[in-house]
Amino acid sequence: MATVKDKLIQEINPGKPVVAGAKVTIVGVGQVGMACVISVLQSNVADDVTLIDVMKDKLKGEVMDLQHGSLFLKSTITAAEDYSETANSKLCIITAGVRQKEGESRLNLVQRNVEVFKHIIPNLAKYSPDAVLLVVSNPVDILTYVAWKLSGFPSHRVIGSGTSLDSARFRFLIGEKLKINSTSVHGYIIGEHGDSSVPVWSGTNVAGVTLQSLNPNLDTENDPEEWKNIHKQVVESAYEVIRLKGYTSWAIGLSVSTLAQSILKNLQIVHPVSCLVKDLHGIKEDVFLSLPCVLGSSGVCGVLKQPLKESETTRLKKSSETLWAVQKELKL
Amino acid sequence: MATVQEKLITPIAGGASEGPWNKVTVVGVGQVGMACAISILLRELPDELALVDVVEDRLKGEMMDLQHGSLFLKTPKIVADKDYTVTAGSRIVIVTARVRQQEGESRLNLVQRNVNIFKHIIPQIVTHSPNCILVVVSNPVDIMTYVTWKLSGLPKHRVIGSGCNLDSARFRYLMAEKLSVHPTSFHGWILGEHGDSSVPVWSGANVAGVNLQTLNPDIGTDQDKEGWKETHKMVVDSAYEVIKLKGYTNWAIGMSVADLTETLTKNLSRIHPVSTMVKGMYGINEDVYLSLPCVLNNSGVSSVINMTLNAEEVAKLKKSADTLWGIQKDLKDL
Repeated sequence: MATVKDKLIQEINPGKPVVAGAKVTIVGVGQVGMACVISVLQSNVADDVTLIDVMKDKLKGEVMDLQHGSLFLKSTITAAEDYSETANSKLCIITAGVRQKEGESRLNLVQRNVEVFKHIIPNLAKYSPDAVLLVVSNPVDILTYVAWKLSGFPSHRVIGSGTSLDSARFRFLIGEKLKINSTSVHGYIIGEHGDSSVPVWSGTNVAGVTLQSLNPNLDTENDPEEWKNIHKQVVESAYEVIRLKGYTSWAIGLSVSTLAQSILKNLQIVHPVSCLVKDLHGIKEDVFLSLPCVLGSSGVCGVLKQPLKESETTRLKKSSETLWAVQKELKL
Repeated sequence: MATVQEKLITPIAGGASEGPWNKVTVVGVGQVGMACAISILLRELPDELALVDVVEDRLKGEMMDLQHGSLFLKTPKIVADKDYTVTAGSRIVIVTARVRQQEGESRLNLVQRNVNIFKHIIPQIVTHSPNCILVVVSNPVDIMTYVTWKLSGLPKHRVIGSGCNLDSARFRYLMAEKLSVHPTSFHGWILGEHGDSSVPVWSGANVAGVNLQTLNPDIGTDQDKEGWKETHKMVVDSAYEVIKLKGYTNWAIGMSVADLTETLTKNLSRIHPVSTMVKGMYGINEDVYLSLPCVLNNSGVSSVINMTLNAEEVAKLKKSADTLWGIQKDLKDL
C-alpha cells in the first residue's frame, strides 16, 4: 500500500547531491566548540556542520538539540560516529582539549593537549586531505604548530585563531573609550596569543587617522590617558571572564565564525591569525604567531608586511624563542 | 590638554543619543537564557541587550564575554546587573528564571516556589518597562505565563508563553525528515499544554497545501499502519532525551525564542503556536494559558486563528485547562 510520502511526492531525482557543499567539521563539543557551532550555523556559510567528540552521549545530545532547531536553520547537522564521517570537509575547526584552569597559564596546558591532538589531527588529515585546519585549543600558537606537524599539510592550510579574539577585544575597548563602534576602530594585536601579545599602536586608527599621531606617548608609561592599559585589559580579559563564569565561549565562537566565513566564501579579508612566521620579521624558528593574514578558501593567501618598531619585532622574536623552547621538547 | 578623543572628533549632535528603540532583556543567565541571548544577538534584533540574574559573578562574566564579541555583532550596548533598573525601556522581556525541581517534589510545590521568585522579578520588570511584552519560557510554562500575567497587571495580549512553539518546531523537523523536505515546507501545529498533553492537529498537517490526512485518514490514530502518531510521541519525549544525553536543552529553545522575538520586534504579524489566555474559547471557562496559533506583532498577540479542531482535540484542551486550573487555584500570593 502506498505510503503518505509516495502519495504526496512524485520523485524525480532523489538521493545525495552531486556537487559537495561547504562542509565544516568541528572537533569538540565543549562550551567553546558549541559557541563556534551556533555562530557558524546562524551565519549560514556552511551547508553541513559535522561535530565529533569522544564524549558520545554529550555529542549526541548536542546534535539532537541543534537538529530540533532545524526549522530556523539552513544547514544540516551531523554527529560523527568516527572520523570517516568528517570526510570531505573544507574547514576543520579544532576546539578539543583540556581547559585552562583558573590562573593557569596557557603554556602549562601544552603536553596534555598534544596527546589529544595526536589522535585528532592525523584522522582529520586522512579524511579531508584538502581542508583548512583552524586550531582554537590553547596554547593556540603551539598547538597550531603541532597540528601542522601531525597533519603533513602545507603551512598555509593550518592556522590558529591566535590573536583574532585579542584584536576584537582591543577594538571593542578602544571603541568604548572613543564612543565609536568597534568596526570603525582599526587596530591589530599580533604575536603570541596571551600574555605576550603585541599591540601595534602605530597602525591603530579611526578613518585613517592614527591615534598615535594625536598622542605620541600613547604606548608609553608617560601617557596621562593611559591608553597602554587597554592592552593590559585585553590580556587579562580571558582570566577575568574565566574567574567570573568558569570559561569563555561567546566571543571566541563569534570570532571563529568570522574566520570560517572568510575561508568558506574565499573573501580575502585580513584577519590577525596564527600562521607560520619563519623568515618573517627576522624570525628563524618554525613557530606560529599571529600576523595580519589575507584569508581565503586555501587558507592563508598572503601576510601583510606591517612596518613594526624595533621594540615590537624584538617582542615577536622573544615569543618565538619561548615557543620554540617549549616546542622542541614536545614528543610528537 | 586635549584627549585623543577630543582631537579626533568634532561633535555635531551633542548629548546622549536617543532610544533604545528595540531593547531586549533576558532574565536568567543559565543555559537557556544565554542561548536565547546569543540567538537574539546573532539575528541582529536588539539595539540594546540587558541581562539580569541573582548570581553576580556569572552575570558579569556572561556580559563581558558577549561584549568581547561586539565586533561581530550589531548590538552596540550590552549591559547586566542584578538591579532591575538596567532593564528600563525594554520592548521585550524574556523570562527564563526558575528554581530547580527537587527529587520527588510535587508539581504544585515546584510551581509555588517559582511563584515566589516571580513575585520578586515580574513587578520590577513592569515598573521599569511598563510598555513591554513579556515572553515566559520558564517551566511549567503555561502555568508560569498565567502567574506572570497575574503578577504583572499587564493586559493579556502582552504576556506570552513560549508554549508549544518549540514542540511545533520539533514536530516540523521530525515530520519533514520522514518526508525528505525542509522543515519550513512541512506545516503542522502542536497546540494546547506544553509537554506530555500537547495536541498535534493532524487535520491541518500539510505540504504545499496537500493535506496529509486526506492521503491517510488514519494518520495520528492507533489504527494507522504507518505509525505517524509516533512522531508526536517523539516530540513529547524530545526534551527528556536531550536532557538524558547532555544534562539540559538550550539551543533549540534559544532559536525558537529568537524567532518569536523577531516577529515581535519587527511587527511581522507571523503566526506562532504560543501560550495565550484562552478563557472563552473552546468552552474553556477558567483563566488558563494554552498554546493556540497567535498572530504576533509589536503589541503582542493581536489575534488568534480559529483552528478547526475535532471533538477529541477540544476535549484534550479542556482537560488540560482543568488540570492547570487545578494547580493554579491553590497558588498563594498572586
